[in-house]
Amino acid sequence: MKSSRRSILAPLCAAPLLFLTGCGPSGPKKPVIGVSFETLQTEFWVAGYDAIKKECAAQGYDVAEAVADGDAGKQLEQIRSFITRKVDGIIMVPKDAKTCVPMIKAANAAGIPIVLFNRGADAGPDVKATAVVADNTGLTKLTVEYMVEMARKTGRKHTAAILLGDLGDLNGVARRDGAEAALNAAPDAVEVVARIPTEWNQEKAQAGVVNALQAHPEIDFIFTSSDFLLPSITSALKSAGKYHKAGEPGHVILGGFDGDATAWRLMQEGYLDATGVQDVYFEAKQSVQAIADQRAGKAAAPSILDPGFVIHRGNMAEKSAQMWGAHTGR
Amino acid sequence: MKRTALILLDHAVILLFAGVLLTFGFLAPGFLSWASLGNLLIQSSPTAVLAAGMTFVLMVAGVDLSVGAVMALAAAVAGKMMLGGFSMPLALAAMLFMGPACGLVNGLLVTRLHIAAFIATLGTLWLGRGGALWITETRAMNLPDSFLHLGSSRLLGIPLPGIICAAVLAAGNVLLEQTPFGRQLRATGHSAVAAAKAGINVRRLVTAAYVICGFCAALAGILVLGQLGAVSPKFGLNKEFAAIAAAVLGGTSLFGGRGAVFPGSLLGAALIQAVENGLVAINANPYLYPVVTSAVIFVAVLLDTLRQRLRAAATRRIFPETEAKAFSASAAA
Repeated sequence: MKSSRRSILAPLCAAPLLFLTGCGPSGPKKPVIGVSFETLQTEFWVAGYDAIKKECAAQGYDVAEAVADGDAGKQLEQIRSFITRKVDGIIMVPKDAKTCVPMIKAANAAGIPIVLFNRGADAGPDVKATAVVADNTGLTKLTVEYMVEMARKTGRKHTAAILLGDLGDLNGVARRDGAEAALNAAPDAVEVVARIPTEWNQEKAQAGVVNALQAHPEIDFIFTSSDFLLPSITSALKSAGKYHKAGEPGHVILGGFDGDATAWRLMQEGYLDATGVQDVYFEAKQSVQAIADQRAGKAAAPSILDPGFVIHRGNMAEKSAQMWGAHTGR
Repeated sequence: MKRTALILLDHAVILLFAGVLLTFGFLAPGFLSWASLGNLLIQSSPTAVLAAGMTFVLMVAGVDLSVGAVMALAAAVAGKMMLGGFSMPLALAAMLFMGPACGLVNGLLVTRLHIAAFIATLGTLWLGRGGALWITETRAMNLPDSFLHLGSSRLLGIPLPGIICAAVLAAGNVLLEQTPFGRQLRATGHSAVAAAKAGINVRRLVTAAYVICGFCAALAGILVLGQLGAVSPKFGLNKEFAAIAAAVLGGTSLFGGRGAVFPGSLLGAALIQAVENGLVAINANPYLYPVVTSAVIFVAVLLDTLRQRLRAAATRRIFPETEAKAFSASAAA
């Protein structure tokens, strides 16, 4: 009787001790990575967020999550909170290139590895962080060059409109530079008649394309700096009677950047010709790996470049596995 | 001389608008074509409707920062319904129900809980944005083409968005200029305390202004959906600033008591849109857009300030003692 009572009481007494020491049945405590995103207001950021969480789980990390809702001050507090909690690494999407510098310095002072996801910092050599960024300029140039080749194959000169992003956003500016570089090298094939600043706003984009098509009905080549603006373009093309699939008469050569779900659908339907895809999975993997490397004592690389890839109707079957938008649509 | 200046300043926004049209018409052939002017009307309709609603709130010395979020929330609900198999009329009805409902919440927060309008509507802005993000799951919802038909349909050759906009502005104008409700709004904007003493139910009046503003936000959302045919997580983002700018450009005071739905809101919205359309038509340097647009807004506001000063000076000279009596009379009416 005594022994049976002891056998019941022993685990009951041991349980709180196990809880206090953190050595329960789930095993030793996992290292934690603090993930702070500036916003989750676009599909791309949500895909990146999910990819990072998945990669953290795959590499044996727990995740502490935070979203700053576009507020750099709030993000600074979140990073400080991560530091107070003594996380083992920080991955962040900064609001912009400047405001993240004090956050990086704070992490550096605490000796916590920090990685910037998809947006670099405008900082001097005294701060230590790894930026995992897409080659916005190079990838946009490749995408537009592919579109130019398509235009050349038709044997006639094309008239283009370009939709620019927010000119205060480094990614938007880099994509503009990439598009301009490709188009300036092909004056024989394409002439740009409209450069539409959208400020990443769908309504401005729609109005801009409608007006450009009104002023230049001959426009037959459109590049957008983000696939998120594709619904605005298709709406404008539909109202102008210029929405035709590739191969049909009157088709407008259409290209974009990002690789979202709308781009994937339009490409499958035959309306979108090419888009530059940021490899979210590559960037997430490299971000978590950079934390692991720094924890292992390796020096932090200042930047890791995601070369991305151009997806078009010729290679979509083979590349779809890497295109994040092909897996996030409804 | 001062009389001429006053007449000119009274019509400053109209003259500025005409100047913008003529300048771009000269620089870009085709800018003044019927098709181009039709586009201008369609594109400025949502902002004009939004500004009309905002005028009611500004008239009572309030502000509604949540209009863009209400547009997004209502559009997200409509999008979800459409993708879930509901009919378009039902989705539109849901939008038109949600707008005034959100306005009622704003109105009650301001009048019953006495939360400052700026804070109350900032809170509902975040609530609305959060709700819209939740419903859309941060993904674009591409709606059936029937929504685009709504935006591109014409009645007697006039674009449907233009007709809806005209109807809203006409109704708003009648309500504001020719009903006791409008006069009471003005009186409340001048002084809520004096209005209450004159027997006006200020709480109910202010709540009604927010409900009207919410209804206009939902309607503006429908007009934007008719043009885009899609709901994105950023739907209606920063629209509140466009609405306030258009209302102020149209002559509405930020301090209450003064404003007009027609032609004020329409002119304000069309002026901003005309500048942006003109810059696209001449393929201007993209860096010039914010500079030129804000310069035009600045000139319009500057001229309006001058007009107010001159008019105030003239009023003091002509009606030194009767001004207060006139105000009391308008409040009592």
